[in-house]
Order: sequence, then structure tokens, then C-alpha cells
Amino acid sequence: MKVIPRRNRFGRKAQPVDYHEALREIAKSMVRLKRPERLLKMITRFITRELGLTHAAILVLEPEKSRYTIFDSKGVKKLPRSLIRLDLDHPIIRWFRMTDKETEADRAYISKNRIQALLRNPQIYKNRPEVHESLVRLQRAMGDYRVDIAIPGHFKEALVGILLLGEKLSRRLFTQTEISFFQTLVHDAAIAVKTSEYHERLIERNLELEERLKEIERLRKKEQETYYEIMKSLAQEVHAKDPYTFGHIHQVERLGVMTAEEMGLDLSGRKKAVLSAGLLLHDVGKIGIPDNILKKPSALDTEEWKVMRTHVEKGVKILEPLTDFKEVTEIVRCHHECYDGSGYPRGLRGDQIPIEARIVSVVDAFHAIVSTRCYREGRSIETALQELQRNAGTQFDPQVVGAFLRAFKKNGRSRKAA
Amino acid sequence: MTRLLVVDDEPEICEFLKTFFEDRDFQVETAGSGEAALKSAETFCPQVILLDIKMGDVDGLEVLKKVKQANPKVKVIMVTALETTDKIEAAMRLGADNYITKPLSLEYLENDVREKISSLAAKP
Repeated sequence: MKVIPRRNRFGRKAQPVDYHEALREIAKSMVRLKRPERLLKMITRFITRELGLTHAAILVLEPEKSRYTIFDSKGVKKLPRSLIRLDLDHPIIRWFRMTDKETEADRAYISKNRIQALLRNPQIYKNRPEVHESLVRLQRAMGDYRVDIAIPGHFKEALVGILLLGEKLSRRLFTQTEISFFQTLVHDAAIAVKTSEYHERLIERNLELEERLKEIERLRKKEQETYYEIMKSLAQEVHAKDPYTFGHIHQVERLGVMTAEEMGLDLSGRKKAVLSAGLLLHDVGKIGIPDNILKKPSALDTEEWKVMRTHVEKGVKILEPLTDFKEVTEIVRCHHECYDGSGYPRGLRGDQIPIEARIVSVVDAFHAIVSTRCYREGRSIETALQELQRNAGTQFDPQVVGAFLRAFKKNGRSRKAA
Repeated sequence: MTRLLVVDDEPEICEFLKTFFEDRDFQVETAGSGEAALKSAETFCPQVILLDIKMGDVDGLEVLKKVKQANPKVKVIMVTALETTDKIEAAMRLGADNYITKPLSLEYLENDVREKISSLAAKP
């Protein structure tokens, strides 16, 4: 007798399928595929073609609708994709969602033959008519969908989808190797589907969140900017109120920045803005000092000095609500500290005092000296510079004083014109 | 035996529903076009028609109108895709006995067909 080689529906001689190789290939593709749709279609095509099945179909859970629809179906007896849906009470779905102990092993996959075997064994559904009924309905449904074997795909506890396979055109039974292969495929596909679902939702939510955060950030920034503007006008107000004022507060800022530049300080990013804000706002707390002290033409007594010194903490209090101004607040807090630790409010010394505060301290002192002697402007500047030098190392950071003097000589003369 | 006519321009759907209902002891004919449907309605004399609302050549509503004119007793269940739900109202006005949207539950469809048949038996 002549042996006729079996052929699949494409007329090719059926080759034994190397499942390990196939799995490797599919696993590789899975990594590449961002969208699981193509993966699922690949699976149905691969299985139908390579194993010569009447059809293969994949049911996928529609997350928001609590129902399963046919994602893809291929083969000569493929299922009409758009027509059918399987609700949660559908016998096939119910079978894989059941938690019956006796039939637990059959939740890994179920075949037509196995259902027959179970129905022939009354032990299985003894005293449990509901199990018998499930099996009968399952058998019927498997027939409706021409399904020989159904393999569920779970992700954690959730039934994400089911692979439905028709019989082989050769009418041979599925081997255990083939079934293990299907299980691996379905398992990986379920993860891919779920991951992409999470991914999509995550992206969606992320976008939403980002938008909201941006909006909040925008409002916060706006609010802080407004607050900062108010601060600045307050500082200006304070400055203008002070009878010893000489020139504009922005000159204080300019001198400070010049000094920092002369020192070669890193003023990149927001560092320059922080320094400027410190220079502009250091005395903002004076807004809370009574006019009779602030504007007193003669020397302050001990009590009055006590009050005057509170302008530092008052300034800190005013600035605290500005979360973006932590460093600025710190400058304000430290601008009356002295290099040798004799300052207030905390008696910090040397590097414990932020460099910006050390600069503010020098610039502020200079400004105070020249201001009190504004009627003798030319000399007073020289006096002020000498005063700074005299106190370098005690009240002031000598490096800052040095830089200030150099910067002043280079640029400061233009101040006279102001 | 109950005679059922399935009208849909997708052959796979016709084939699938034919097998499904034949397995349940129905006598089933299928039609892939409005013309074939009208012809079959005349010769096969179905008691129930499953009618796709949107087909290539003829509007399902046209078919509905004609079969109901020819035989008001025939039960017609419209099968619609989501995007054609706006036609449901028109279909019901034209005398359709029910409608069902795709994707559909076969169990629901079967129950509905059986219900229509029993209503036929109740009203001779």
C-alpha cells in the first residue's frame, strides 16, 4: 500500500512543528510588539496554519463591558467575529470562572473529550446537579463554536481571554506537547494584553495627571509671582520709608550681584535670582517696625534696638509662605549674622552663614553708612569702604569685602551719577 | 419544524447561524441579499426571519416592509450593528417584532426566536 503523506490545507506536507523554536520566535515578537493586537492575530494564524486546524479563535474580555468578544478567528471554519459575544454567564466563560474543587484540574484547559469523560463519571457531579448542568451546557456551547479545546488566559485572578481551537483537519487528537505550547502562548498573550491595557490606561491617566499638575504648578507659580511682586513693593516701601535711604533699592541689588560675580560665585540657574531676591527683600520685615523707631533721627536705645532687630524674624515670617523662596528666606534670616559669630539672631559664624547673606551683610552695611552721611557723599563712600575694610574678618567675610571693593572700584563709580 | 430565514450579507454569519439553529432542530435557509431574502420569504415561507438591517444592495428596512406586506404574521427580528441603531425606531414602526444588536449573545437570540414562535402558536 502506498503511503500518502498528510497534507495540511495549504497542500504542504505537514512538518512536525518545533514548539520550542516557535515559542522562542513568538516570545521575541512579543517583546517587540507594543500593541498586543498583532500578537493575538499572529497566534491564531500560526496555530491554524502550522497545526492544520479547522479554526482558531481568541476571545478577549472587554474590560468595561463584562463580556468577551471574538478578537480574531482564522481557518476554514472561522467564527464570525462581529456577530457573537459571550456574556459572563456563558457556559464556556462560567466554566473557567468556576471555583469547584472537584473539577479544578480541568480549569487549566478543557477539551470535548474530557467533557465527555467527566459526564460519564457520575462521581464528579454526585449530589451536585449544578456541576452536571454546567458540563452539559459547556458541551453544547463547545459544539456551537466548533471547539475541540479551550485554553484560558489568566492574569493574576482575572480571566483575560480564551483560546478556542477547532479540531485538526487530520482529525488527530492534540498531543500534550501541543497543549503545553498553547498554554504558554495564552499565558504570555494574557500578560501582553493586560500589560498594554495597563499601559494605555497608565498613559491616559499620566497625561491627565500631568495636565493637572501643570495647571496647579502654573497657578502656584502665578500666586508666588504675585506674592513676590507684593514683597518687592513692600521692600521698596520700607526702603523709601527709611529716612537714611540713599538711592534706589535696586542699587543694593546691583552692588550685591556685582560682588558675587567678582567672587566668581556660581550664579547659574536660579542662583542669581535667589541672590537678587535676598538683596531686595532682606529688610522686608521692617514693614512691621513702628515708625517711631524706624524713623527715629537719633540713636536707638537698648529697648528700641531689641524691637529693631525683630525685623529679621518678621521678614522670615513674611517670606515663609513662599515655598519657592526657601533659600531667600534663609538669606533674610542670616543677613545680620557676623563673620565672627557676634551677629544675630543665631550667632552663626563663617561658612555657617550662607554666602548670599554674607554679601547682603556687606552691601547693606555699606549702604547704611553712605546713607546716614548723604550730605557728605564723596567722603562718605571712602569712609564706608574703610569701615568695611576695618571690619573685615570680624563683622564681614574678608573675601566678600575684598570682592566688593574691587567690584566697586570697577563699576561702583557710576553709582555717583545715580 | 420551525422554518427560520437568516438574512445577512456576510456568508460566515449565515453559515454560523444556520448550523447553530439546525443543531436545535430548526429548518434554516439563508439569504445574502435583499433580493434573495424576498424570494426565499415567498418560497420557503419562514415563520421567523433574522434580518440584518444594513446590507450591500438593499436596505434591510425595505426587505422588512415587503415581507411584512406579503405576510404580516411572519416574525422579523432585526439584527443591527451599533452604528445602525438609529434605524431601529424606523424598523419598529415598520412592524419589526424585535431587534438585537451585534455582537449578540447566542443564548439570548435563541430565546428570542423561541419566544416569537410560541407567540405565533398562541395567536393562530
